[in-house]
Amino acid sequence: MNDPIPSLPARGPMVVYRAPREWTRLHPISPLLGGWAVIGVAISIALYNVAPSWTGPDEDIQELAHLVTQSILWFAIGVVVILALTIGLGYLQWRFNEYRLGDEAIHHRKGVLFKQQRQARLDRLQAVDVVQPLLARIFGFASLRIEVAGGENSGIALEYMRLGDAEAMRNELLTIAAGVKRAKETGADASVDAVAQALATGGEAPADAGAGTGADGAVAAEPAAGSAPHSGSGSLRDVTAMPAGVPETPAAEERLVYKVPLGRLLLSIVLSGPFVWIVSVAVAFGVAVLVSSIDLGRVFATVFGASLFTMLPALLGLLGFFWARLSGGFGFAAGLAEDGIRLRHGLTETRRQTVPPGRVQAARLEQSLLWRHQDWWRVTINVAGYQDDQAAVSTLLPVGTRQEALTALWLVLPDLGDPDPAGTVSLAMSGTGAEGGFTPASKRARLFDPFQWRHRGVRATDRALMIRRGRLDREVFVVPHERTQSLGLTQGPLQRRRGVANFTVHSTNGPVKPVAAHLDLEDALALLESQAQRAKEGRARQTPEQWMSAVGIRD
Amino acid sequence: MTWFEPDEASWQYVSRKLIPARLIPLWITLVLIMAGLVVLGALTSAWVWIAPAVLMLVGLWLTWIIVRQVTAHAWSEREDDLVVKKGRMWRSVTVVPYGRMQYVEVEAGPLARALGIARVQLHTASPGTDANIAGVPEAEAARLRDRLSSRGEAQLAGL
Repeated sequence: MNDPIPSLPARGPMVVYRAPREWTRLHPISPLLGGWAVIGVAISIALYNVAPSWTGPDEDIQELAHLVTQSILWFAIGVVVILALTIGLGYLQWRFNEYRLGDEAIHHRKGVLFKQQRQARLDRLQAVDVVQPLLARIFGFASLRIEVAGGENSGIALEYMRLGDAEAMRNELLTIAAGVKRAKETGADASVDAVAQALATGGEAPADAGAGTGADGAVAAEPAAGSAPHSGSGSLRDVTAMPAGVPETPAAEERLVYKVPLGRLLLSIVLSGPFVWIVSVAVAFGVAVLVSSIDLGRVFATVFGASLFTMLPALLGLLGFFWARLSGGFGFAAGLAEDGIRLRHGLTETRRQTVPPGRVQAARLEQSLLWRHQDWWRVTINVAGYQDDQAAVSTLLPVGTRQEALTALWLVLPDLGDPDPAGTVSLAMSGTGAEGGFTPASKRARLFDPFQWRHRGVRATDRALMIRRGRLDREVFVVPHERTQSLGLTQGPLQRRRGVANFTVHSTNGPVKPVAAHLDLEDALALLESQAQRAKEGRARQTPEQWMSAVGIRD
Repeated sequence: MTWFEPDEASWQYVSRKLIPARLIPLWITLVLIMAGLVVLGALTSAWVWIAPAVLMLVGLWLTWIIVRQVTAHAWSEREDDLVVKKGRMWRSVTVVPYGRMQYVEVEAGPLARALGIARVQLHTASPGTDANIAGVPEAEAARLRDRLSSRGEAQLAGL
């Protein structure tokens, strides 16, 4: 903040070790990990060198090889030039790609011709992910993705650093960000130095760090005291108190909550709509060929051949869907730590996500018709700040039993504000009408919503709003009151005739878009009023500490 | 049945100048097209004149809709949130808590500036929040922006 610089000498036991305070470049190997281009060139050179030996006997090819060999010099020169250019450009880009930890934010600047400067404010930190694409994983490197709340493309990607460094920096950033938030709440000095100082001293010496009144200092010390039971088992705060030179802030202790077995994941993909569709098309085609005479089969074949080109993109899309499901759910594990929810997954690209406490904006539980027999559910979430590859980052549980889905929801929202949360959510998942205290959709809506109206419903608990919908594919939305962005009410002409309206909760960008459709107008109006009130109360009492104590990490 | 009526504050309707602001571009386009069609009709067949006649009717209908829309567009500043309502056929109400406002934008094109009105757009962290107030008198727009910003800062809650 506006604190004068004198806090510099007081830095004493420096906690900020991995996150540099000066402009720093990334690992020099980065440009080589960035793209496949270089590798492609290398492989083509190798192939070319090998080629003449195995093309031996075939004269045509020999001729061709001969023709090419005449220009081998040119080829080699071309390769060298391309290689040099790629490496040179990569080197230049690497030289101009720097980051540092400022007083309130992480700064990142890059670009040779077109300069780009970004900063991620620590108090707006939404998630820190360690991502390892295939190539980086082979060589033990990783990129660090820092997501913050606010505008488009506000995240920072630091590509690449050693895996250990990336993880250490993630832990450090999360610790400091939590400290900054706490300091802001208690009105203490929230600059990085002051927070690091406070973390190092465990909040016991608020003389200079906890600037301001003594009362503030006392408040700041309180959460630290709460963590005392963990001090023996390496609590973050104690570890960060290590003197300079101790290399890392270890990760907050993690407790595994659930895993997704590979068998279930595969079966869940087999039981997904697109897969069944593909199989049924193939079967129908086969049956048609068998049943009909050969001529007709040929007709089918030509038709199929003609439509192959139109089918191909659709087929690729389907493959993409399977791939996304498989790769995103492969080795999926969710854990709980003091710095938030930890998610690990990925086949070729491993991703370790950390969503800090209470940063999940909304959750959706869904069950397709084919999963109903096993009672499997999929849980997706909205996390503010994630802009690209939403599907990869927004899955909290790719496929799980009802119990696991409830657990996943509990991770997001440990205190539902209901005496029997499991029962309530279960009713939300498979109830109809007014069951479980839900306000059902209006009966007057059945005219234009004959299928679903009985299954729609909305209910507010003390801490969250639940919206249920869907007859074949069931869906439940859960939005914590304090995460509500804004509320909307809409009504079309037909709805006005029938006296019903749609109620919408606006959440941040993501797969979860909660809408309670076709409510009785009276109900919708009452809900709009009461929900605005509840959101206001929710905003007033939200704290990360609350989340920690609710999930049992802290008392 | 009545539509949403907040009990604390009264609705502030947008300026009627929004009607000409919307009608002028509409009619300029329509008149140009109609003129072209009339000339075309004179050159070829009188039947073509049916098209401008239909366009005229469409224009009148759109005019009526615009008048209805503008007279239904209002906002209300309550203690903790701003309420914006709009539309008659497709009605909508949006409630934006001050604590959730990321920033407030005021914009005015040349025509709007000539008429002395501006558009106030509220941004939250949600792309779904459709809270814009078109046709706020210029002076009021600046005041509204300052008021909203200061309230937003006072109540800003972490995401």
